[in-house]
Amino acid sequence: MQWYYSKNGTQLGPVEESELRAKLASGAVSAADLVWREGMPDWSAAARVAELSATGAPLSAPPLGGVTQSPYSPPQSQPAPAYPQTRIYQDSDIPTNLWQSIVVTLMCCLPFGIVAIVYAAKVDELKARGDTAGAMSAAASSRTWCNVSVLIWVGIVVVSVLANILAAGSR
Amino acid sequence: MQRQRAWWLAVGLSALAVAAFQLYQRGPFGQPWLPGCLFHNLTGLHCPGCGMTRAAHATLQGRLGEAFRYNPLGMILLPLACIGVGIEVIGWLRGKPLPFRLNVGAMGACLIVWLVVGFWLLRNIPCWPFTLLSPP
Repeated sequence: MQWYYSKNGTQLGPVEESELRAKLASGAVSAADLVWREGMPDWSAAARVAELSATGAPLSAPPLGGVTQSPYSPPQSQPAPAYPQTRIYQDSDIPTNLWQSIVVTLMCCLPFGIVAIVYAAKVDELKARGDTAGAMSAAASSRTWCNVSVLIWVGIVVVSVLANILAAGSR
Repeated sequence: MQRQRAWWLAVGLSALAVAAFQLYQRGPFGQPWLPGCLFHNLTGLHCPGCGMTRAAHATLQGRLGEAFRYNPLGMILLPLACIGVGIEVIGWLRGKPLPFRLNVGAMGACLIVWLVVGFWLLRNIPCWPFTLLSPP
């Protein structure tokens, strides 16, 4: 699972989940920093993401009330609300997968590559329109179709190789 | 630089080099177990990638004109795509995208879609000049 995270309003990543956990454990990413992965509707503070806090390193999340504190301590800062999307995402950070799709179309000989190219083209269009979430989901679809094409192609090659070995063996 | 990714890249590049060497030595039909194009086998029609193996072989042997004859669009798009993918791969290797991308914009991407789909349709029309788009 690839995660994106933000520091000081700039988006970083993608990183593997294990890597993000390590960053959380070491404090490189704090519990209040925003994180996002594909499938999440919006950015969320790391402390609020169940799958990051459920296992692995304990998060040093600021307690959200209920804990008695010295009355002189400054008010607990809540995890930052989602940044305006335009600040979080750098449009250039969304990979369009266009070139991967073209390679897949030309090498794998499957019409699915065209579907991937169409989705990749939609990414740029949605980016231009400012629909960042839509662009991210189109990019994900494009990658999925690339992977489907490659997997089917690998499957065909494996079957073809096996068939040839069997044919050679029975000769 | 991420070590595990560097290993994967090394494996991928080695496989590519072996494949290129085999293709160079034995030619496009030298591997009897290679399945060829599934779409072509099923329908008898050409897909947008048909002819790329032969084109790659001709390119490796320095016969560029012949390579273009096998798949003219592929000979233009594939090198571009390789540059684009190369930039992405370097970003992936560093764990952070490079500050620049090979970006054709929304219009360019749409143009590519129409080019590929149009090429796919036109190269299957069985009369001149469209037959120039399909492998001889």
